Amino acid sequence: MPWILGSGSSEVSALPDPLLHVQNLRTYFFTYAGIVKAVDDISLDVSKGETLGVVGESGSGKTVTAQSILRIVPSPGKIVDGTIEFEGKSLMKLREKDMQRIRGKDIAYVPQDPTSTLDPVYRVGEQLSEVIMRHHVISRKDALAKATDLLRSVEIPDPEIRISQYPHELSGGTKQRIAIARALAGDPVLIIADEPTTALDVTIQAQILDLLKELKNRLNVAMILITHDMGIVADVCDRVTVLYAGQVCESGTVEQVFEKPKHPYTQALLTSVPNLALRKEKLSVIPGNVPNLIEPPSGCRFNPRCPYAQQICIDKVPELEPIGEGRSVHCHRWKELDLKSPVAS
Amino acid sequence: MTSDRKMAQTTLEQRPAGGHRVSQWALAWRRLKKNKVAIAGLGIVGIFIVMAAFDRLVALYPPKCILGVSPACQLDGRLHSNSPPGLAYPLGTDITGYDVYSEIVYGTRAAFLIGVGATGLTMLIAVVIGLAAGYFGGWMDNLLMRLTEVFLVIPFFLLLLVFLQVTIKLAPANTGSIWLVVFVIGAFSWPGAARIIRGEVLRVREFEFIAASRQIGASSYRILFRHLFPNVLHIIIVLATLQIAASILTEAAVSFLGFGAPGSNTWGQQMYNSANYVEQAWWGTLFPAVFVTLMVMGFNLLGNGLRDALDPRLRE
Repeated sequence: MPWILGSGSSEVSALPDPLLHVQNLRTYFFTYAGIVKAVDDISLDVSKGETLGVVGESGSGKTVTAQSILRIVPSPGKIVDGTIEFEGKSLMKLREKDMQRIRGKDIAYVPQDPTSTLDPVYRVGEQLSEVIMRHHVISRKDALAKATDLLRSVEIPDPEIRISQYPHELSGGTKQRIAIARALAGDPVLIIADEPTTALDVTIQAQILDLLKELKNRLNVAMILITHDMGIVADVCDRVTVLYAGQVCESGTVEQVFEKPKHPYTQALLTSVPNLALRKEKLSVIPGNVPNLIEPPSGCRFNPRCPYAQQICIDKVPELEPIGEGRSVHCHRWKELDLKSPVAS
Repeated sequence: MTSDRKMAQTTLEQRPAGGHRVSQWALAWRRLKKNKVAIAGLGIVGIFIVMAAFDRLVALYPPKCILGVSPACQLDGRLHSNSPPGLAYPLGTDITGYDVYSEIVYGTRAAFLIGVGATGLTMLIAVVIGLAAGYFGGWMDNLLMRLTEVFLVIPFFLLLLVFLQVTIKLAPANTGSIWLVVFVIGAFSWPGAARIIRGEVLRVREFEFIAASRQIGASSYRILFRHLFPNVLHIIIVLATLQIAASILTEAAVSFLGFGAPGSNTWGQQMYNSANYVEQAWWGTLFPAVFVTLMVMGFNLLGNGLRDALDPRLRE
């Protein structure tokens, strides 16, 4: 069992009022080509009412982390190690039946692609009341009334008409709003939004983000916002966890990370965000590609692409080190590097 | 141009408060209506349904009425056996003296019974196996699909004849029953449909809304029956329509070869009874065959039209 020999437990500094506590999560995919270590020692925390941004490139393990929390990792994926605690109880130990009570009620999920997230054969109202009736003792009529209210709360015009329409009659933005309404249907305390704006065009993206912010403030619901867009993180999130190749690079509040990134990867990510103030001709890119997760690079996984890499980065896996003020960094050289933020004023 | 403007005006004026609320089924029906061939098929099937429902009114004589002998159809008091088509019997009479046309009309009910009965059983087995194999996957899929393949490689028609012959020999008491034929056809026709349904389940299973159902806490059975089944229903409808035609054809063939239920009055049985006299009275064999062909054609045209109307890959 090689994963037991890994970097070991590294306590992320305690936060007030923890709602979700994920520690040393490892989710592997057992494919014919080999074991894909999609999530390899990821820890993160979300407190009540807080919005955590989870940032990373494609293949960094963002979505698999979210699926692991809900225990809906598709086959051949398996959670092989780690603890997931939600409101103090371990989700890993729950039976599937009890887990079904949590999905959609306590923890809701907003999927990435709104076009196919609604069942084409049912009216919108039926799909929303399905969730409401699944998690509440309520009559069909009241559930439909509640569905209408939900649509109104996600700012869909004419909700009375929308609930009797079929998904193919609706636009992408409306479908994503309905997906958000469905996530709200169980009165969740935590919403996991998996790139909720990626499949939408820019103006609709802005509307959906405004809606998420508004809901967060109004309902005081905690949120994990998965994205690859640092701009969205700066706009919506309170704290951020940066993932790279299935591991955490660093986490901290948005201000901390944007003002003073500690990990070279975070710095590189911030550099590649378009910035009008800098007025550069060309966008900078991070050289190289996301590593193969069947045989990841030895030591720190970012070392082949890291401009500051030294021998120790190849030899030794760094620890996720708490550095105070609720921050933690996964780098051997963070102290001596003393990185500068490309976006800090 | 003027018509364009007129259209725009009427739509603006008559615009409802919001959307139009059209279900997938309503859209499919619209597409089906545009397909003339499919509507012709529907018409043929419809005529046969009327024939089966009101067979006493459509037929010229009561069932099993020997022309010239039975009290209900005395005619001129002379036995009309193997008589060619004429005014009193438009499609002729068979060896016994039955009116071929009336007997064909009385056989319509049996044809529907065979078609719908055998198809019901076939689709039941195919849906259960297809859904289970496609949704659960893994060893269940392996087991069920290997079983399906075993059924597929056995020559279906030969198996049917052997099975019917064995049951006739083993249980002579049941031989008069058409249900045995229906059961045997149904029990051996499912493998093709099961495979197609499994394939469709594999496709639909990957859609985001199936994942979304899990995310909102739905159980496996709920996903299977509330979300997967309705989304593969379109293919089940098409398969069932085509299977009705295939079952009727199979029964006709089985009966014509003499393996059917002797007491039943199916079109295949009528052909079998007249086959020995085809030189003197070709009408006794030909006309039931024409009706088999018409009905099978009707269901096939309808089935093909339904496939075009329901197949999501062809949707605009």
